[in-house]
Amino acid sequence: MIAALKNLEGFRAGVRDWLAANLPADWQQHMLGASEEAHIAFQKSWFRTLAAGGFVAPHWPVAWGGAGLSFAEQIVLYEEIARAGAPRLVLYFISLYHAPATLLEWGTDAQRRKHLPAILSGDEIWCQGFSEPNAGSDLAGLRTRAERRGDHYIVNGQKIWSSNAQYARYCLLLARTDPSAAKHKGISYFILDLESPGVTRRPIGMMTGGSHFCELFFDDVAIPAENLIGAENNGWAVAQATLSSERGLTILELTERLRNSFGLLLRDARQRGLVADDEVRRRLVELHTRIEALRVMINNMLGRMLHGAGVGTEPSIIKVHYSELLQDFTELGVRLGGLEAQYLQPILMGGGYETGYWMHDHLYSWSWTIAGGSNEVQRNIIAERALNLPREPKLALAK
Amino acid sequence: MDYQLNEDQAALVAAVQAILRDHDSVPQSARLDFCHFNGDLQHLLSEGGFLDAGRDLGPLEAALVVFEAARAPVLVEAGASALVVPQVLPGEGLAGPVALVTGDDLGKAHRNLPIARTALVDLGDDVAVVELAPGDVVPVESILAYPYGRFAVPPDLSRARRLAGAGPALRQWWRVALATEFAGAAEAATVFTVDYVKQRHVFGKPVGTFQAVQHRLAQCHQIAMGVRYLAFRAAWSGQARDADIAVCYAQAHAQKLIFDLHQFNGAMGVTNEHLLHFWTYRLRALQAEAGGAHGAALRIAGHLWGGGPALRAAEV
Repeated sequence: MIAALKNLEGFRAGVRDWLAANLPADWQQHMLGASEEAHIAFQKSWFRTLAAGGFVAPHWPVAWGGAGLSFAEQIVLYEEIARAGAPRLVLYFISLYHAPATLLEWGTDAQRRKHLPAILSGDEIWCQGFSEPNAGSDLAGLRTRAERRGDHYIVNGQKIWSSNAQYARYCLLLARTDPSAAKHKGISYFILDLESPGVTRRPIGMMTGGSHFCELFFDDVAIPAENLIGAENNGWAVAQATLSSERGLTILELTERLRNSFGLLLRDARQRGLVADDEVRRRLVELHTRIEALRVMINNMLGRMLHGAGVGTEPSIIKVHYSELLQDFTELGVRLGGLEAQYLQPILMGGGYETGYWMHDHLYSWSWTIAGGSNEVQRNIIAERALNLPREPKLALAK
Repeated sequence: MDYQLNEDQAALVAAVQAILRDHDSVPQSARLDFCHFNGDLQHLLSEGGFLDAGRDLGPLEAALVVFEAARAPVLVEAGASALVVPQVLPGEGLAGPVALVTGDDLGKAHRNLPIARTALVDLGDDVAVVELAPGDVVPVESILAYPYGRFAVPPDLSRARRLAGAGPALRQWWRVALATEFAGAAEAATVFTVDYVKQRHVFGKPVGTFQAVQHRLAQCHQIAMGVRYLAFRAAWSGQARDADIAVCYAQAHAQKLIFDLHQFNGAMGVTNEHLLHFWTYRLRALQAEAGGAHGAALRIAGHLWGGGPALRAAEV
């Protein structure tokens, strides 16, 4: 329990009641193995339901139509959403977090007025165009070019791992505007209309059977200069606002879901008559204690944020801990499920990463040690910033 | 809880750290020993009231004291005195240091028994309080960084003072103390190793420059942090389940922590001319206590899901 949440039990009860009244009890049944079309339709429907309850943009300022909840109230809200097993609003994640955080801190009034109300109405879906085939963890190594020509920028290049780009209208795009500058210095940040001529979107088939990631190809795509966010060549600073927008709430929600999904592992252990097996019990408890350790780390981070203190390297530590835990958690699920769990199972669309359909969950979990800055990069950060170890020198390339 | 120290807690920690700074160095004559108990420091912490923090301030404050004390390379007995005694004897103190003894294993060697003035013996439901006199305990040679000893003659527990119904509290707070001591030693050993890899050069660079070293030390830091938060939560909540989780997490990760920390101290790390073992050999001792990680896991499983063939044995 975080001390600052003690006085929010009334708010918690209200959220719980609202979820009990509004969360479709049979949503998992309908979303298990659902088509992409059905999944998107349900995401939009759940968006509207949350919006009607005032919970779709809890963190947005009231002036822009958000609920303006305090950070402590948001913590409670996400705990309750996870506890209720509500669908994850994956289709709108970039729209509701990354886009507003970026526009509110760096955008122009015109950009805010055009896009924020449209996002809140559910009309605009956004995606992110950061990663490239040769710029993932080393994001600043991106090569997509944007050249100023009159009142437009002309963009050429390629992006990859853009979630739900096939459904999005707008893209938060990082492109290099000054190739002669140091790699962090020559990047600019744009709003890209994905219906612009020269944009090609190609969903990528994933080993889980899903295809929510896209590649984006840009061939002489024209972006109006007024779609630049922040100053030209200042995109790296703008991107920090994007990347810090989640403020620990996503990992809090995912951790609570993991806690709540423990029952699914137990279910399978019981069904196979393994719950009394000492080794299985020991493995289950090992995961349980790691989940609890994760939760106390998150509590500490959120507590520091509530006190206005810096969080240091804790997000990196937590990311490493969560991702490796998720892999072990889902792997045990596959093992407990026996041969049946090895079959490619239907995907619970919008269900998160620990749905109990273990093969899919486990295969998806592999991406977690890569995405969002690989665990190797996170350990570099921990070593350099928490332990103050010296940075590894660059390789001396053979002449 | 969210681990943000209030002003009183911060002042308490600062005061303990100030005392430890002046008294925590291992004298040159003892550097080759496996364990160095500092009786003067024990006296200072006791007389200064720090070991009464659990009674005067609360168990979380006591855990803060135990954690800080466990970071010192020299040994003081804080866990039993500060965290366990106030819970089983809320209204009074005991002559310390205090050793915690499993009644079923009375004839075996017990941690801290050679330095103890009082032993609390776990009898299951009850606890026996055994006052120790010189000659009651025979030291047992050990490479672990705690003094171990066994009773010269098994104490007559029928004549000892008996704390009826105190057994569960003793075992719960023993685990909190164990996890908290583990957390302090783990953090100190990690810091010691990080300092070493910054100073030790190989191939013209500090050892700590290499990612192969950095990444495993980052994991050690992560483990130590996790144990600390879980131990403090167990002290704060007073829940038996939280105590089991803290001790289980600590003991399950001990092997990796000990191995990596020794590895990165290189050949010096496998000698006793280096300070490292004063912490890591404590971790080694603590990982086996109270049933070890396996016993703790089965206890937790029993609490959470009931039953299980090994549950009865693990509850001991």
